[in-house]
Amino acid sequence: MLLYAVRRVLGAVPLLLGVATVVFLVLALAPGDPASVYLKPGMSPETLEQIRRNLGLDAPLHVQYGRWLLSFLQGDFGQSLAGGMPVKDRILAVLPNTLLLASVALFLAFAAGILIGVVQAVRQHSLLDSVLSGGSLLFYSMPSFWLAIMMILVFSVNAGNVWGWPVSFPPSGIASDGHDLMGPMEQIRDRIRHLTLPALTLALVLAGGIARYVRSSMLEVMGQDYIRTARAKGLPEWRVVWKHALRNALIPVVTLMGVYVPLLLGGTVFIEYVFAWPGMGRLMVESILLEDYPVVLAGTFLFGAMVVLGNLLADLLYGVVDPRIRHGHG
Amino acid sequence: MKRAVPCSLLIAVVLTACTEAHDATGRGAHAGFCEAVLAQVDSFMATVAGDRPGGARYGGMAVVGAPAELGGMNAFAHGDAGAVQHQMFVNLMTLVRYDEKLEPMAYLARSWDVSEDESELTFHLRDDIYWHDGHLTTAYDVAFTYLTAVDPRSGFPNPAFFQNYLPGEGGVEVVDSFTVRFRLRPHAEYMDPWRTVAIMPRHLLGDVPPEALARHPYGEVCPVGNGPFRFVSRSPGDRWVFGANPSFPPELGGGAYLDRYVYRVIPEQTTLLAELLTGGVDVHVAMFPNHARRAEAEPGLRVLSFPYRSVLFAGWNSRVGKLSDPRLRRALTLGVNRRQIMEGIHGEQAVLVNSGIPPVHWAFDPTLGDSFPYDPGRARDLLEAAGWTDRDGDGIREDPEGAPLRIELIMNQNQERQEVAEIMRVQLREVGVDLGPRVLEFGTLMGRITSPQRDFEGVLVSWEAEFRLDERDLFHSEAVDGLWAFSGTMDPVLDRHLDTLQLVVDRASAIPVWHAYQNRIMDVHPNTYLYSSYRRNGVRDRLRDVVMDARGEWASIREWWIAPEDRRTP
Repeated sequence: MLLYAVRRVLGAVPLLLGVATVVFLVLALAPGDPASVYLKPGMSPETLEQIRRNLGLDAPLHVQYGRWLLSFLQGDFGQSLAGGMPVKDRILAVLPNTLLLASVALFLAFAAGILIGVVQAVRQHSLLDSVLSGGSLLFYSMPSFWLAIMMILVFSVNAGNVWGWPVSFPPSGIASDGHDLMGPMEQIRDRIRHLTLPALTLALVLAGGIARYVRSSMLEVMGQDYIRTARAKGLPEWRVVWKHALRNALIPVVTLMGVYVPLLLGGTVFIEYVFAWPGMGRLMVESILLEDYPVVLAGTFLFGAMVVLGNLLADLLYGVVDPRIRHGHG
Repeated sequence: MKRAVPCSLLIAVVLTACTEAHDATGRGAHAGFCEAVLAQVDSFMATVAGDRPGGARYGGMAVVGAPAELGGMNAFAHGDAGAVQHQMFVNLMTLVRYDEKLEPMAYLARSWDVSEDESELTFHLRDDIYWHDGHLTTAYDVAFTYLTAVDPRSGFPNPAFFQNYLPGEGGVEVVDSFTVRFRLRPHAEYMDPWRTVAIMPRHLLGDVPPEALARHPYGEVCPVGNGPFRFVSRSPGDRWVFGANPSFPPELGGGAYLDRYVYRVIPEQTTLLAELLTGGVDVHVAMFPNHARRAEAEPGLRVLSFPYRSVLFAGWNSRVGKLSDPRLRRALTLGVNRRQIMEGIHGEQAVLVNSGIPPVHWAFDPTLGDSFPYDPGRARDLLEAAGWTDRDGDGIREDPEGAPLRIELIMNQNQERQEVAEIMRVQLREVGVDLGPRVLEFGTLMGRITSPQRDFEGVLVSWEAEFRLDERDLFHSEAVDGLWAFSGTMDPVLDRHLDTLQLVVDRASAIPVWHAYQNRIMDVHPNTYLYSSYRRNGVRDRLRDVVMDARGEWASIREWWIAPEDRRTP
């Protein structure tokens, strides 16, 4: 299995480089100028040209691409055009934030989605099934941007100040100002409080879709002969549902994980923007708007790598949930 | 995969061959720079920590939330409005600063002399201003800042500041460690550059090639200033943290009252308002008008508004055939109800303008008032006179060849501009003009209006005037190929006024010329000037002595304080 995983990862490198190259060309062909961020009233064309030279933007396209690729192959992502920080530092400063948010949201989404889907399948056609279906559909079809603002209004602005709820959450950021002055337990609590709203928002949107998948998968499994056999053996219903049915129903759901990793990373863009969460999504959008191609290229490569890893994870999980599938011999 | 590795190597070899040796960025050359200087800052700050006075006003943390990130603290590279204010008032120092009447007052310079013929300007510096790493700020730093700023290789964003100073070594002389002399041609507002250009540390940046300064880590990763706040940390795209500088001289009021000042980046305005309402931030910079109304109604909050130096206008590209006719440009102004738009968006917190000179500036001519009021009848007459008639009855005018009067108006994603453009579209339709608003991202917009091709017809843009007014780049015939001459105006009368204004040294003599200039702008009518709106900033009541005016939001930050009982408890 390990050999299989290594082969999959290495095999994706040329593909990811190809994607980054296409992105480079698209950015280069797009209208606009990365140096325009430095434009100021009173600036002469000569000064602008000097700034372009200082940023290395005066070189022909193939030379710029060559510089980037050469650095990249040496493990150096270059320097951001908007400011000059090393791209590696810019990405390392925000990547853990996105991974934290995405992984917590993914966990919450799958936990909630599986639970809701199972309950719906077990209580098919009941009022509870209808209510949960309606709720899932509602959150599934909500724009995450709008939902995020509603979450802030309800659980942050109104919860504490207006309605006097005992719990309210900070509307934005990854930690409070003065976080470094807090004790260790207080710091953890502070992080969790800041993570709650963005992670819940992301999870709510995703959980609806997962629940629909689990429900239909469970219904299909529940009609199988071996479930009837399990019941005939006199096994308690919870054991039939959670051990026999769910394990088999999860096989197609695992595929979702591979699909949801890129979806989740894309979905974090809006969430990071609204909740001022300093993450990869925001960095990428801001860099695209500024045509900061070193950051965009490195980010594209990383996003691509995460998609590959997500799909690989899904394939490996297949082997875990379905004993009939084993990797490593092909 | 077996083929992928040799392929990558081959590409690398080929690219090595075609890639010229280039590292103007100094990439990798500054490894360890930041660690070393920040350690020195910590060490110096520890030695002067005892100098920080006690008292009820000292202590606490204030948080300012704003939608935009700060560029950085490098005055040679970071020219965005927020960054410049942080250089001027927070982390660094300028030679002089403006008082509330916008008159220069001593700051890093204790005093200054001007020679009788106004060709020499001598600054006498304070001898007690320390960089946050313990080095004294001297005249050599000032000379270094000037020489680097006027060196074209540095790409300093505001070279026009010093266009009347003698360039190069001949323009500056270090008389002694705390006296520096500049040579210049007599000109108006010669002190203004020293209000806004922060002095930079020669001992840290003097050895950096000018072309590498913009990408040096100093400005973004480890700024070492000499102002009332020292740099503590930065999380890019998220926040900057500054701490009080105890070594700031008592004669200038001593270090800041606040122990800590945090600048937070919160791009979504609704979230920013939520942070203000819930106490997460103490100041919300640049509020939407409707958000300001919401904040005003909230107990514990106040909104500080002040007239600012920006002017919103629709610029018309007179290089485009139809827009070269001033009658059409005047009709476009007369066909827009500017007052209604202004009051609808800003209420009473904006002033109509008829040129790019903001009402807050001493050169503004208040007698022009509501010139060119909404007059669709007159707009129609002007269009008829210019040959634009609705020949096919579709409500849109055509020229004699049948080409419809369509004008594309481009703008960036700014919400207010999109609203204004939409209202303009509806109102101009009434007089037979088909205005087509189009939103572009900032880089594309700037590329279209500043490139030699000038690929646009109209642009809705906000222009922020400096205190030292100079509209040569916009309207002088000699600058018509420059970046900012997007209107393509060439008018000998405007040229004459602009040339005269370069040489008038005192304000009293300059005012009549500026007024004549504004009248001529109305005649030539290069743009449809709309209004100059106030800046609105929400402030929590617990933060005291916050003064915000045309100098900027951070002008009084050293005096901000929070009573002990109102402070955050981390």
